[in-house]
Amino acid sequence: MSLDIGVFDALLLTGVLLAAVAAVLVPRRTASVAVFLVFGLLLALLWARLDAPDIALAEAVLGGGVTGALLVDALASKQPHAPPRRLWTVVVGIVAGTIAFLAAACVVSRLSGPTGELPRLVDDQIATTGAEHPVTAVLLNFRSFDTLLEIAVVMAAVFAATAVSDRSWARELSASGELRTIAMALLPVVALLAVWMLIAGTTRPGGAFQAGAMVGAGLVIAHLTGTRHASTRGRWGEALIVVGLVAFILLAFSTAVAGEGWLVLGESWASAAILGIEAVLAVSIGVGLARIFLANRNEPGEAR
Amino acid sequence: MTFVDLALLAGPAIMMIGLVGHLLIGDLLRRIIALNVASGGVMLVLLAVAAREDVPDPVPQALVLTGIVIMAAVTGVALALARRVDAVSDESEDR
Repeated sequence: MSLDIGVFDALLLTGVLLAAVAAVLVPRRTASVAVFLVFGLLLALLWARLDAPDIALAEAVLGGGVTGALLVDALASKQPHAPPRRLWTVVVGIVAGTIAFLAAACVVSRLSGPTGELPRLVDDQIATTGAEHPVTAVLLNFRSFDTLLEIAVVMAAVFAATAVSDRSWARELSASGELRTIAMALLPVVALLAVWMLIAGTTRPGGAFQAGAMVGAGLVIAHLTGTRHASTRGRWGEALIVVGLVAFILLAFSTAVAGEGWLVLGESWASAAILGIEAVLAVSIGVGLARIFLANRNEPGEAR
Repeated sequence: MTFVDLALLAGPAIMMIGLVGHLLIGDLLRRIIALNVASGGVMLVLLAVAAREDVPDPVPQALVLTGIVIMAAVTGVALALARRVDAVSDESEDR
């Protein structure tokens, strides 16, 4: 068995594996979060090396940005003392994990070779979808039902996080001068990037999810720097969170009633419909993620 | 063995590391991190499968893209729950 792999790729895979082990093993929360952020960054690089620039972009913005902000914010609360597991539990767990890994490795090593059928089908039909980028075509035309359910899950998660939170986030943050300067410099850039990712998604890597994550990151920055009129609280925030799912369901109904069937987009107006629904989704995802961050904020006066 | 073959093997390894960690760790925040690690492994398998051809398969890529967004949302809910659980156990310890 000969290895045919570049130095950079080998280092990258080793780094990802080591970071995964370290993120799980280090006992302190702060260290664990720090290693996990590195893991996310390495994953984004790895996705780029695996010819998946869309995923790399989403991983960088969501894994590093939004999840990172959530985890770092959670560090503010003190780590409770957890009793260590018994030795035999750990041994059994590791043995079971090793067996499961060997089984999964057997499965992936016996996968039949790629038939190339799905990419060919996508390639054949892409002219009729209204999107030039294959991933966008899959997400919003061929398998738009998945995306519809996804936005429903995100919406449910937002309201679950809001319901669980103790509502101590209903407090406005006051802004100091420096923070306001940072916000004024960063927010236009974030807004521009979000719009660019949205528009670019039809022809090249980018799209609603990356743009939505960018909107979410921007709203979190706006909240932390005390920018006014950027709140995701209250009725307006909730309306914006729901609007993505509602618009998608309305589109599904109107295609079922007036068109050729559920979510079958007509060739002539498909690109407009996709861009429209992507814009609404980006807003919903962005406001939703920012709301999840807010719901996780700590009580005022709690030790930091 | 090529880069993609190795990535295809690293995927299950990372998934199992994360899963075993998730089941064995007591601290809730570290559990959530371990679950995120496991999801990274699953994504690695799907993307390596997609990258076996010259032109990458867009269907698994779209699945992973959906998965990343869901994972971020789920992490948010899990952290909110963990925070409440920690707060309640703090109170009962103080009594």
